[in-house]
Amino acid sequence: MDLSLVLNTFTLLTLTTLSTPIIFPLLSDSLKNTPSTITNTVKASFLISLIPMTIHIHSGSESLITLWEWKFIMTFKIPISLKLDFYSLTFLPIALFVSWSILQFATWYMASDPHATKFFTYLLLFLIAMLTLIVANNLFVLFIGWEGVGVMSFLLISWWHGRAEANTAALQAILYNRVGDVGLILCLAWLAYTTNTWEIQQLNSPHQTPTLPLLGLILAATGKSAQFGLHPWLPAAMEGPTPVSALLHSSTMVVAGIFLLIRTHPLLSSNQTAMTTCLCLGALSTLFAATCALTQNDIKKIIAFSTSSQLGLMMVTIGLNLPQLAFLHISTHAFFKAMLFLCSGSIIHNLNGEQDIRKMGGLQKMLPTTTSCLTIGNLALMGTPFLAGFYSKDQIIECLNTSYLNSWALILTLLATSFTAVYTIRMTVLVQTGFTRIPPLTPMNENNPAITSPITRLALGSIMAGLLITSYITPTKTPPMTMPLSIKITALVITILGIIIALELSKLTQTLILTKQTPLYNFSTSLGYFNLLTHRLTTKTLLTGGQNIASHLVDLSWYKLLGPEGLANLQLTTTKTITTLHSGLIKAYLSSFALSLLIILMSAH
Amino acid sequence: FTTSLLLGTTMTISSNHWIMAWAGLEINTLAILPMISKSHHPRAIEAATKYFLTQATASALLLFSSMINAWQTGQWDITQLTNPTSCLILTSAIAMKLGLVPFHFWFPEVLQGAPLTTGLLLSTLMKFPPITLLYMTSPSLNPTVLTFMAILSTALGGWMGLNQTQIRKILAFSSISHLGWMTIIISYNPKLTLLNFYLYALMTTATFLTLNSTKASKLSTLMTTWTKAPALNAALLLTLLSLAGLPPLTGFLPKWLIIQELTKQDMA
Repeated sequence: MDLSLVLNTFTLLTLTTLSTPIIFPLLSDSLKNTPSTITNTVKASFLISLIPMTIHIHSGSESLITLWEWKFIMTFKIPISLKLDFYSLTFLPIALFVSWSILQFATWYMASDPHATKFFTYLLLFLIAMLTLIVANNLFVLFIGWEGVGVMSFLLISWWHGRAEANTAALQAILYNRVGDVGLILCLAWLAYTTNTWEIQQLNSPHQTPTLPLLGLILAATGKSAQFGLHPWLPAAMEGPTPVSALLHSSTMVVAGIFLLIRTHPLLSSNQTAMTTCLCLGALSTLFAATCALTQNDIKKIIAFSTSSQLGLMMVTIGLNLPQLAFLHISTHAFFKAMLFLCSGSIIHNLNGEQDIRKMGGLQKMLPTTTSCLTIGNLALMGTPFLAGFYSKDQIIECLNTSYLNSWALILTLLATSFTAVYTIRMTVLVQTGFTRIPPLTPMNENNPAITSPITRLALGSIMAGLLITSYITPTKTPPMTMPLSIKITALVITILGIIIALELSKLTQTLILTKQTPLYNFSTSLGYFNLLTHRLTTKTLLTGGQNIASHLVDLSWYKLLGPEGLANLQLTTTKTITTLHSGLIKAYLSSFALSLLIILMSAH
Repeated sequence: FTTSLLLGTTMTISSNHWIMAWAGLEINTLAILPMISKSHHPRAIEAATKYFLTQATASALLLFSSMINAWQTGQWDITQLTNPTSCLILTSAIAMKLGLVPFHFWFPEVLQGAPLTTGLLLSTLMKFPPITLLYMTSPSLNPTVLTFMAILSTALGGWMGLNQTQIRKILAFSSISHLGWMTIIISYNPKLTLLNFYLYALMTTATFLTLNSTKASKLSTLMTTWTKAPALNAALLLTLLSLAGLPPLTGFLPKWLIIQELTKQDMA
């Protein structure tokens, strides 16, 4: 049996299975979609996609499928081709698994929504765009997927478009992503110009690539993956429904930027400036996001900031020249982050729309499944040994500690790791333990299998995925094996320190002392003033500057003073002065004649 | 009186001897004086007086300059005016006769006091002999003085004309301005001066005759002439624009050629 044929067939079968709910309703009127059909389609796709992954793990076979060649101009052909290597074959089942769980959850979450089918179709379209991005072989197809996920993110964030904040959040998402897209297009143009190809295999450059296209790539990743500088859209994107947040903004779309950097890694690795930029940018993002998450009170925003922080960590990994490890973190992060979002969705729906953790508490007794999975997710996020997060996160911190790179990045990342522990424990404590602070009449029911089975499935994944993936792949770079004991357990120690701090701080809620508004607290709560500065200050300055130019400069000075009116005024003054000279007295005239004559005669001699 | 005018003009134009030129100019002055003061209006009388005084001064200066030249060089030929002093005095005299700055103060008032047809004669026919004299003596004239007077004339004519409501005064200033253009080119290409003068005479005649037929002497009167003779009013528009020197009309031609000539002389 020709394994490569099986590989190709089943991959293509996966992708086509996904697109059937889109195509069938167009073909005939009787084949309508319902939320459950879409869920089942994705489930089927997931099961089918396991086969190519198994084949790859078994024999290490990779393949390249070229579907069609777009002869743009004679010398520059763009083949629409799919690359099925380790990254895409592994991420395909993971993405489909997570999506299946989310869709199943969404059948319960969006049950009361009149346009539920349209919602599911949007999610499916998003998934297709994301998978296009993953299996793309050249940057052109990747760009198609990139734009696709951007657009679908806009549509999905503004799902409840009657809400003004949802619309502004969607606009923010699109704008920030667009700024990042500029970087990607810059890189595409440079590649087309110098190397005449957009294929990923041909991206190896023997000597150092110039920094500018690489900065473009990093800009693209900053926009898409919400690194510091283009990050405000991610917390704002929590305006969308929870399944949207779970799918887009935890597992799939936000990793698109990191995925791009992984794919173009051969270009990046030769340029030290680009690597340092990644490192420092990632470190800054992770610390900033973690700081902002410390004082948030909205449960979804805390999880959003934790996503942002983990993305910064992935960027740090890329900066350390370890793309495979970054990919590992992407995969494990997908599981527990999606699960965290789904748990929060279940909590929110059960509490009838309440998202403030100060108004939750003691849910452990009332929602046992959800809260246990929440705990598992949080532990995985913190990098508890042997859960999923440990395999990737701990390894990243080890490599960071043993590398000889930037120590500032190191310190920031370690600080961020401890902050991760702090806010995670804070969230857990405030949500689950302690006395309950919810309104009395809140009927809670989590017995619906549509809630419990996705969450428990993802919990299983969170526990097992790290182990499974690391056991079955061969690392391309040898991880550091020997290091002093203190460095080995750094991550663990810092996390425990963070837990202790969080437990101390959480006692504040029981002592009824108002939190003082210290500058640090304000910094954290207002998201580092970044939102305010960029959104308000720059736009106001630009607009008032424009108004000043238009009215003062153009209207008043150029038109009135210097331009036509000024000229006219000049003539008027001259005219009036000269008219007074012509008095009509002949004596004056004759005397002026004589004077002029004298002057002429004098000057000529 | 018209015959005397014509006699005087012809005498000056065709003269070769200074005395003849001077005599022709005097005949012109004397002939036009009664024409100015025909209406016995105080303003007209005042205009006539002013005209007489200035023109007499100018003629005296003319005679004086020719005498200096005769004393120095021993001949009375118009074209052989070589003494620099006499050139300068001649220039001032002609300027006075024509109405160039700084000798222009009499011109607007005189034109205002005279009736329209006399005004026409004043600005066209009366300018002709002095211009001829300039033409004949042009090689020996001092360009600096001429340029200075010409530029001032052009500018002053324009500025003064802005603040007027009486049409005759406006036309006076326009003629001062045109004279400026004429004198600036006379040292370099006298033919252009003559061209400018002919075209100016044509345009001014047209303007004056139009105004005469509608008897409009003030701007406010001018505004209501369209009811009396609409086609004529439209024609007046074109004429005035030509006088101003706008490109597709004839008035642009002398200006363009003069500027071209001046550029060749590195002066524009």
